[in-house]
Amino acid sequence: MSDTLRLFVPGKPEYVRAVRMAVSAVASGAGFDVEAVEDIKVAVSEACANVVCHGANPQHTGYEVSCVLFDDRLVIRVIDQAGGYDAGRYKEPEAGELREGGLGIFIIKALMDEVSIDSEIGKGTLIQMIKRHSIR
Amino acid sequence: MALSVESRLIINEREYWEVKLRGDVDIANAADFRAALREAYFEKPADIIIDASELSYIDSTGLGVIIGAYGRMRDKGHGILIENPKANVKKLLNITSLDKIFCQEEVLA
Repeated sequence: MSDTLRLFVPGKPEYVRAVRMAVSAVASGAGFDVEAVEDIKVAVSEACANVVCHGANPQHTGYEVSCVLFDDRLVIRVIDQAGGYDAGRYKEPEAGELREGGLGIFIIKALMDEVSIDSEIGKGTLIQMIKRHSIR
Repeated sequence: MALSVESRLIINEREYWEVKLRGDVDIANAADFRAALREAYFEKPADIIIDASELSYIDSTGLGVIIGAYGRMRDKGHGILIENPKANVKKLLNITSLDKIFCQEEVLA
């Protein structure tokens, strides 16, 4: 059994906070502890910011955020049609490297249990993030 | 929570900017935070101490603002110190290794 919450979000910076609040309410209601809720909040915001910052035309298309709640995990998908990018060219920041951008994906991977990024140039990107319940 | 940025120049044995952040810094308001840091440093080039005790949330765009500001200051011998971050902010600084740069007193001139 699973419950699904699906949000269609305008591709504007001011709506990222609304997504963050909605997803953190789902996670908190599902019994994730405070630290895990915080991790989920940051990860989903980073994924949304990625669409808004790097998408070719996110303001026009908007994007979708879905949260699927299973007994043992929360699966979050951020799906856009904002033009995609070459995910293979993404380079994780090295220790001590000061980079103004490019931290978002690194942070998502550090905070979530499983992360996959599927991007098609000319189309869009799907970022899937999974957080597991430690105890339920 | 909306963001409030309060900057004031402290002059005692040394001069530095104290920048107090309240609320959330994210993609929607990172530009305001960037402008506040730029404005302060333009008015008086000096170290910046960010009081993060009431900063509830910061994302990578906010961290990028701090990294960018530091990049423009360090050649002039100035640094940025983030003081009293909450546990969630501290965790982000830690996983990005930015704590090694922005949470050490030695970074200041």
